[in-house]
Amino acid sequence: MKTSHQDLVINISDLVKNYGNGATGISVLQDVNLEVHGGEIVAVTGPSGCGKSTLLFILGLFLFPSQGSYYFSGENVLALSRSEQAEFRRKRVGFVFQTSDLFENSTVYENLEFPLIYAGVKRRERKGRIVDALDLVNMGHRIRHPANLLSGGEKQRVAVARALVNRPQVILADEPTGQLDRDNTQFVMDYLEKSVKEAGTALIVVTHDPQVATRCKRICVLEDGVLKESYGNLANND
Amino acid sequence: MRLDDLLRVSFRQVLRQRRRNLGVALAIAIGTAGLIVVITMGQDVKENINKDLELLGKATRVKVYFDMSQEKYSISRPQWFRESTVGELRRLPGVTGVTLVAFRNGIELSNRHDHQFRLKLLVGADEYIWEVNSFTPVSGRFFGYKEVKGRKKVCVLGADVAKKIFGDEDAVGNSLKIDNNYYRVIGLLGGLGIGDYAEWAFIPYTTARDRVLGQWLPNCIYLRCHTWNDVKSVASAIPEVVTANQDGEGIEVKVYWDQLKKVRRIAWWIEFFIYISIAATLILGGFGIWNIMTAGVQSRTREIGLKKAIGAEDRDIMAQFLAEALCISLGASVFGIVAGRVAVEILANILGSRPLEELFLFCVGLGLLFSVILGVGAGLFPSIRASRMEVVSAVNFE
Repeated sequence: MKTSHQDLVINISDLVKNYGNGATGISVLQDVNLEVHGGEIVAVTGPSGCGKSTLLFILGLFLFPSQGSYYFSGENVLALSRSEQAEFRRKRVGFVFQTSDLFENSTVYENLEFPLIYAGVKRRERKGRIVDALDLVNMGHRIRHPANLLSGGEKQRVAVARALVNRPQVILADEPTGQLDRDNTQFVMDYLEKSVKEAGTALIVVTHDPQVATRCKRICVLEDGVLKESYGNLANND
Repeated sequence: MRLDDLLRVSFRQVLRQRRRNLGVALAIAIGTAGLIVVITMGQDVKENINKDLELLGKATRVKVYFDMSQEKYSISRPQWFRESTVGELRRLPGVTGVTLVAFRNGIELSNRHDHQFRLKLLVGADEYIWEVNSFTPVSGRFFGYKEVKGRKKVCVLGADVAKKIFGDEDAVGNSLKIDNNYYRVIGLLGGLGIGDYAEWAFIPYTTARDRVLGQWLPNCIYLRCHTWNDVKSVASAIPEVVTANQDGEGIEVKVYWDQLKKVRRIAWWIEFFIYISIAATLILGGFGIWNIMTAGVQSRTREIGLKKAIGAEDRDIMAQFLAEALCISLGASVFGIVAGRVAVEILANILGSRPLEELFLFCVGLGLLFSVILGVGAGLFPSIRASRMEVVSAVNFE
């Protein structure tokens, strides 16, 4: 990897996550170490139940590890207060979920406006940022469209735009193409890669789809809670 | 989250989920309309009932007179009320009317055919007697200021007296003779609850003083109190006011306590019924909002999780749910106010009454205040529940 220490965005070390205690306790993640730099695209793969989503939730501060450290751009984010965690999520990370979770009662515009509202972006600035984000995923023509009338692929592209609209440092995507057909998977990954390239954002994709994983520069494999392997996907290196 | 964004987003959400909110909004609107109708018209109905009860019982009337027949009084000179005393009594807080009267019994009347009739009581009164006693004419009209000041020979007869003197003939417009003077009958007094007055005749006391033989001194006053709550204080203040303005020896104050007690008991039941209705309306409206907001938190769990995932703080979620509850309750309340106004207008037309505009405006304020209390009160718990939801469980909620 040709990355410098300065643009190290995510640095987790010796991360352990257990659910419950004693004999009934389950160890989901064991001594996980991961470094992600700005502009990197990382796939986290592995079988179902291996802890991929748990790792992603910890990276988004939805969950907290039992042990280990997590530094985001050099800051110990595990020490953040509840309010600071919310600020972390609205300003520094963007999320794309598997089930294309849009606010169904809202339009495409309104879906992208919510993160900006929570981030305190002024109203007159919002439209420009929303249009830019939608153009990036080629959805500008659907800006006033009700979200519940979009196709699955379109919804996921809007979800990508929503994750990007606050210009985060990292996008965390949990099976973003899990419910899409082959063509739409390609489109969504194209848009994600394009966005990452243009914005310099890091992308961590949790997936068990080889088609998605092979498009990433790095693939990390989780097996029984252990991040066993991490290697660069040379085919996609610039 | 800025206030304008909060209100915009919440209003939009309520509007888009109008089908879900329709039932509860309708309930609150009907409740608010009911509240307005119950209070506005309830007061009006109560006042009408009071008036009817007044006609029957004279509960808020106080009689003040000089009783010189008692042995304890050393002097036997006649006593009567001075104009200055009457003026001071009119200024007493809680007094709405005062009338000065003088009585004479055993007076002979005759019609133009010289048919003689002995009258039970001839009353010399000023123009306020009708208002103070809540009298209304069954025929013709009552004498007023001009007739009293001009010492006119006019007469108002009790309906029974008129029947006895004139038979089936119309008494109004006819003449009768009192002490060799002819008086024109200008009106008849009658109706429900009139009692002994139906056998009395009324002439201006100035005319009586000038034209009816004997001494005509106004030794009796009737006062009308604004409400029955004023009766006690007015009655206790009267002797002091009288003695401050004239010789008060022999003064007697008569209050109709039994009637007052009965009237108050009936009114208490009416008020009790009104307030029970209001309480029931509020409780039902509150449960409606609480129910819809609780159901909303459950069905919108993923939405809450998503909003937290994109950066909403606990207070943003809480504020949004609270604002939505307020939008429902306030919006419904506004519809209720409009519906209430229409209902009040219709009912007022049916009952032939005119409720106070101030009372309606008070109800509007009360309705809005209650809707805010309802919205906040019923929406608070679901909002707190929504705000405390953990992101992972909310996002993974199916």
